[in-house]
Amino acid sequence: MAIIEQPRTNVALPAGTGAPALVTPKEAKGMFARPVEPKGWRDWVFTVDHKKIGIMYGVVAFVFFIVGGLEAMLIRLQLAAPNGKVLSAEQYNQMFTMHATTMVFLFVMPMASAFANYFVPLQIGARDVAFPRINAFGLWTFVAGAIFVNLSWFLGGGADGGWFMYAPNSTKMFSPGHGVDFWAFGLQITGIASLTGAINLIVTCINMRAPGMSLFKMPIFTWMIMVVQFLLVFAMPVITVALFLLSFSRGFGGAFFDVKQGADPLLWQHLFWIFGHPEVYILVLPSFGIVSEVLPVFSRKPLFGYKFVAISGAAIGFVGWGVWAHHMFASGLGPISVLVFSMATMMIAVPTGVKIINWTLTMWGGKLRFTTAMLFAIGLIVEFTIGGLSGVTHAVAPSDTQQTDTYYIVAHFHYVLFGGAIFGLFSGFYYWWPKVFGRLLNERWGKANFWLMVIGMNLTFGPMHIVGLQGQPRRMYRYDESNVHARFWNAISTVGAFVLALGILCFIVNVVITHRSKNPAVKAPLDPWDARSLEWMTSNPPPAHNFDAIPTVHELDEFFHRKYAVDHETDEIKQIATAEQIMAEQMAHAEKDIHLPSPSYWPLVVSLSLPIIGFGVIYSHILIAVGALVTILGLFGWSMEPSVATKDDYEPPAPTDDAIKELTA
Amino acid sequence: MNHDTRRTGSPQTMTVHVETRQTVARRTWRRVAGGTALLGGALLLSSCSRNSPQDTWKPKGDSARKIDNLQRPVFLVAGIVGVIVFLVVGYAVTKFRDKGQPIPKQSHGKPALEIVLTIIPFVILATIGAFTARTIVQIADTKGCEMTVNVTGQQWWWEYAYPATAENQKYGITKPIVTSGELVIPAGTCVLLRETSRDVIHSFWIPALNGKKDAVPGRVHENKLEADAPGYFAGQCTEFCGLSHANMRQWAIALNEEDFATWVQNQQRVATVYAETDDSPEALGYRAFRQNCSRCHQVNGMQNADGTPTIAAPENNIVAGSVPNLTHLMTRSRFAGETFPLLNKTCTERLTKAASEQLGAVYLEGVTSDCLNRTQLEAWLRNAPGEKPMYVKPDAKGLLRGMPNLGLSEKQIDSIVTYLQTLK
Repeated sequence: MAIIEQPRTNVALPAGTGAPALVTPKEAKGMFARPVEPKGWRDWVFTVDHKKIGIMYGVVAFVFFIVGGLEAMLIRLQLAAPNGKVLSAEQYNQMFTMHATTMVFLFVMPMASAFANYFVPLQIGARDVAFPRINAFGLWTFVAGAIFVNLSWFLGGGADGGWFMYAPNSTKMFSPGHGVDFWAFGLQITGIASLTGAINLIVTCINMRAPGMSLFKMPIFTWMIMVVQFLLVFAMPVITVALFLLSFSRGFGGAFFDVKQGADPLLWQHLFWIFGHPEVYILVLPSFGIVSEVLPVFSRKPLFGYKFVAISGAAIGFVGWGVWAHHMFASGLGPISVLVFSMATMMIAVPTGVKIINWTLTMWGGKLRFTTAMLFAIGLIVEFTIGGLSGVTHAVAPSDTQQTDTYYIVAHFHYVLFGGAIFGLFSGFYYWWPKVFGRLLNERWGKANFWLMVIGMNLTFGPMHIVGLQGQPRRMYRYDESNVHARFWNAISTVGAFVLALGILCFIVNVVITHRSKNPAVKAPLDPWDARSLEWMTSNPPPAHNFDAIPTVHELDEFFHRKYAVDHETDEIKQIATAEQIMAEQMAHAEKDIHLPSPSYWPLVVSLSLPIIGFGVIYSHILIAVGALVTILGLFGWSMEPSVATKDDYEPPAPTDDAIKELTA
Repeated sequence: MNHDTRRTGSPQTMTVHVETRQTVARRTWRRVAGGTALLGGALLLSSCSRNSPQDTWKPKGDSARKIDNLQRPVFLVAGIVGVIVFLVVGYAVTKFRDKGQPIPKQSHGKPALEIVLTIIPFVILATIGAFTARTIVQIADTKGCEMTVNVTGQQWWWEYAYPATAENQKYGITKPIVTSGELVIPAGTCVLLRETSRDVIHSFWIPALNGKKDAVPGRVHENKLEADAPGYFAGQCTEFCGLSHANMRQWAIALNEEDFATWVQNQQRVATVYAETDDSPEALGYRAFRQNCSRCHQVNGMQNADGTPTIAAPENNIVAGSVPNLTHLMTRSRFAGETFPLLNKTCTERLTKAASEQLGAVYLEGVTSDCLNRTQLEAWLRNAPGEKPMYVKPDAKGLLRGMPNLGLSEKQIDSIVTYLQTLK
């Protein structure tokens, strides 16, 4: 059943008035008409359904995960032994720049968007996000930006200034190729995607929760996503400004970072890290949200201190704005600034520690089932703790002046981002796969996936603590024994990278065999994990309209409380209903008048106009005008298209308003 | 089987097979133990590693020692907290695995416990914070420094200028000294470094003596170095500064008072002038150098054929506007931004392994003809960008970033190497 918006008259017509039944139009006419029931690829490309958009975000992000992973493998091969010859200095510098850019902007962020898009509406009992067309625009804009950034590989080489792109090394004089231009404008484009997506999800979380769901009954994943969207709304404008300054410096002779003209290059660093530090929480909080869902389900206990976790998430989001200069302890800030930022950084460890404690106490006294999703969640607790503790060692500013820009830092943030963010995302893959695709991923392959990833990541990033403290700096395409005696540990790191890659390969194999399997056992039952939140109160995968009847929420963990209740005689928790029964009851009360937005062409048009402007900035200014024209045209079409198929498109044509008045009078 | 029963889906049949469950618990335990061991191992190995020249845990000077005294207890506390967390997690996953126990009470937490568990990390961090604050202030204090060196970074080498200030004159620096790559300082003296850059941002780092401080164009950042005793301390630029960032090395050499005075005196000498009629190999090299190298490289005292001083003009050829001064090239142990050893393997080892008392004598010997790493020096003269990646394509203003291939003949190379050996 494809549900599109139809003229309200269709359902408002009283029975027996003699009006002919209306047929859903097969096509829409008119200049700015919307597509109607597209099939095949059009169904995906023009969709505004948050679930399809979520899946597409996920697929594209995973492709870039592989791209970024291959870049990482080349880096590790180069560093396997002193004086590596796999890459030239130039290629190596591009490789680590693009590896970080890809992993941060093109994998973790959009993968979090994938989860957020798919599950936030489901978790809060909504039919879609608040602005479905803006959602589609966000997706395609991200895809356009991601491809744009990576086109640099084929048009003269990738960006070579490091993902932090410090000026003046990133200015035209020191990086004359187009790599940095592609990078700056590409990230500008993906930034637009993040910003629109953030506003969309904030409005969704605030306005579209099911009846009865107060903010403190909102699932913790949705909570964390909401915090992240607020961070994005405030952080993206900062990097937008910074990227414009960079683009104008490079393309139009702007002197924003030119010392000879009175500028201070530290301006870039401040702007970058005012964005860059909240960005770290943007990367990791969605995963915190995921494991905060997974741990209670597989411990059969509510999240310990739900409010503490929610509030500490918000606290991290807030304090996260006051710590940016801890990336700049060596940049000559002066002792007072260093002191303030050092203290603030230590304080942010407190709410982060609260989360670790709460997750552990969630398991405490529980009834633990070690599914792959659960293993990844426990893995996150352990690996993230290591990353968090090494983080405390460089919140101590004086030791940071020894550690910064060495492999110790590389080890730290990979424990945080791989052990934290990526483990959380994998936990989410295994937990929600049956919800999204109606199939259960294979647990054996899943466990192989998990253990290889755990071993691989510790082998890869563990030794980096050692080589870092021994003084091996980052971003070096080569090292030799005159400065770094770390042949053994570097070799181990490279071996670890291959183990890690093997683990990820297991995941891909798992997906392939799960989806090719003819075994009926792979079909997911309605409630495979005995879950607790609203997204499990509908079929797998959910219908286009998500819920037949929007549930009314009475409790945090509403679904659990519909299934279980305390037996007052024995004081034990007893099952009172199965998921199937709850589902049947929902269907019995199905709403008849369900509004869903129609697909649209225009978000795609506007999205695709942005890289044209990008090419214009780099190659020919005339293209800027062409791209801007397409943007304006797209926005015009967007605003002019009808919210529903017009009445003329119906067969027979829908009655006019006057006719309806007459009929119902 | 485990995954088969799971797939039937109803909550009652979802308990995991006993054997598998234990295996999982054991494995989980093992991995927790592994993680702990890894962290512990990392700490252990890093504190007693092999002789790594840039080890951050082997302070040889005042600031580095203050940092070390601060970070050791922090690492210890972090390690202990880590072990406690892993033990608790390990205990939880073994003890509370699903053994068919009833569904636990649906408790949403204990606020009192929460608050206590929030205060504990707060107290730990506040304590660390207090000590951190003290060290930050101590390290930033440059009041007691007795000597000043201006440090300038550029792609991809460091320049050190010793101005003839009243303070510096106490160390015999009556004429300004300009050198590169190797910062020579008197041991036991606080030396104030005034850092800046001529192009992009670099970061000055000698781990045994102090943490990093960025050299930023348009700004002067103060940093201080003090070595306890004579020594040869490795370091390198740690702010990514473009193509050859990995090759931008630096060393600090601390000498005792007497040796430092000798070094200062020698650095203030100008190079020998060879008569235009002189046919000795050195004189031929002198003229070859003047013809091919002196557009950029300054050798103090060198004269043109008409007797006027030869003044290098790197600002007309190089983006940064400066290249290493070669007047005393052969007093350094490395060259080309300290990328390559100027000493051969034996002599390099003699220098790096010299005991503190002998270091001054070994270093002041300089590069003798027996010690010269001739192959590397010749290779550099033959094709510099082939040895060290540099941007030698002229930009719009015709400027380069690095030394181009000068197309020297083998004879010219030989001749120039002969001359360079006189630059002691």
